[in-house]
Amino acid sequence: MEHNEAIQLMAAEKYLLDELSADVRDEFEEHLFGCHECALDMRTASVFLEQGKAALAEPEVAIVRDVTVRDKDKSRPGLFAWLRPAFAIPAMAALLLVIGYQNLVTLPHLTQALKKPQVLPATTVNLLTYGGTNAPPLVVHPGEGFLLNVIAPPDHQYPAYGVDLSGPAGAKESVAISASASSEDTWPIRFPEANRQGGKYKLTVHGITAAGQNVDVGGGASFQLEIQQ
Amino acid sequence: MQFHAFDSLYLEQLRAGDFRTQEHFVSYFSELIRLKLGKRLHSRPEIEDARQETFTRVLSALHRDDGVRQPERLGAFVNSVCNNVLLEHYRSASQEAPSAEEEAAINIPDPALSAIDIIANREMQRKVRHILDELPEKDRRLIKEIFLDERDKDEVCRDLGVDREYLRVLLHRAKKSFKSLYLKKMRERALQE
Repeated sequence: MEHNEAIQLMAAEKYLLDELSADVRDEFEEHLFGCHECALDMRTASVFLEQGKAALAEPEVAIVRDVTVRDKDKSRPGLFAWLRPAFAIPAMAALLLVIGYQNLVTLPHLTQALKKPQVLPATTVNLLTYGGTNAPPLVVHPGEGFLLNVIAPPDHQYPAYGVDLSGPAGAKESVAISASASSEDTWPIRFPEANRQGGKYKLTVHGITAAGQNVDVGGGASFQLEIQQ
Repeated sequence: MQFHAFDSLYLEQLRAGDFRTQEHFVSYFSELIRLKLGKRLHSRPEIEDARQETFTRVLSALHRDDGVRQPERLGAFVNSVCNNVLLEHYRSASQEAPSAEEEAAINIPDPALSAIDIIANREMQRKVRHILDELPEKDRRLIKEIFLDERDKDEVCRDLGVDREYLRVLLHRAKKSFKSLYLKKMRERALQE
C-alpha cells in the first residue's frame, strides 16, 4: 500500500476501528511499519485514545466541576446573565414603578400645564434689520420658552420658508413656515422650553422652493436673550 | 519520540547495545506491535508475550550475519517477525527459545515510566480531556462508548444517529487536534533530554 493510498482510504482510522478486511489490514500494517509519518500518526492516535479512555473513565465529576467553576466565575457573567430571574425580576418591578409614576403623575401634570393659558415672553424680530437692533433684551426664566414675532420677507416669493435660530454657543433651532402661514406678514413663532444660554441670538431665513430646495433669501436679525432667575 | 532514520549507523548502534538507540527502537515499535497484536490476540498477557518475543527475535537477528540486510527496511522486518510470532502462536507450536548467551546479551529496555513520564502523562491526559470537552456531547459519547465501553460500533452509531463515516471523520479530527499538542510535547521532552 502506498502512502497516498493509505491517506485516501483513511486507513489509519479504519485500522483503529477494525474496519479493514484482513488483506487490506495486512497491507496497511506492512506500510505502517515502514512509514515514519504513518507510524507517528498511529502512535499519536494510540496515545490519544489511551489518554481519552482514562479521561472518560472518570465519572461525571469533571464535568460537574467545570459547571461549578463557571458558576463561581462571576467576573465573566456572560452576555445574557441579566436575564436570570434573580436579576430580571427586581429590575422589571422597578421599571413598572417608573412607568406607573410617569403615566399616573408626571404626564397628567404636564398635560394640564400645557392646557392652561400662558403668557410667554415675546419680542418682535424684523428680518430686514441685517444685524443687531436697539430693542431691549428678551428676558426669560431658566428653561422658559418665548415667542418671536418675525416680520416676514416682504415679497413672499417662495411657497414656504425655513427659519433658523442660532444661539451664542452655536446651537441651532429650526422651524418650517408652511405655505399657508408664509403669506402672512408676521410669523408668530413659539420657541419651546429649553435650557438656553443668555446672549446674542441670530435669526436667519431661507426660502423653500416647490421642489424642496433651500434658497438663501438674505437678511437676518438678532436679539439679546437674558436669562433671569 | 523523535524521528530517526533507520540507516546503517542506527543498526550498528542497536547491535552495539547503545541504550538510547535501543530505547528509541523499543518505543518506536512497541505501540505499533501492540496495536497489531491487539487485533489478533485477546488477552493482555498473550499480547505482552508476543511483543517481547518479537523484540527478542529482531534483536537476535541483528546480531546474526544474515540478519537485517537493508537498514531502511527495518520496519518491514519487524512487521514480518511479528507475523511469524503470530503464526506460531496460532499453530501453538513450540518456539525455539533463544540460547542462554543470547538472552544474557539482549537487554530490551523496559519502557518503564519515570517521574517525568508520569507528569507528562497527566499533562497529556489534561490536554486530551480538554479536546474531548470541546467536542459536542454526542461526539464525546461516541468515543467513550466505542473505545472505553467497547460497545458494538454499529449499535452505538445507530443509537446516536450517525454512520461509520461520521465516526471515522470524528476520529480523524480528534487525532489531528491532539497531534500538534503531542508533537510539541515530544519536542520539549527531547530538548530536556
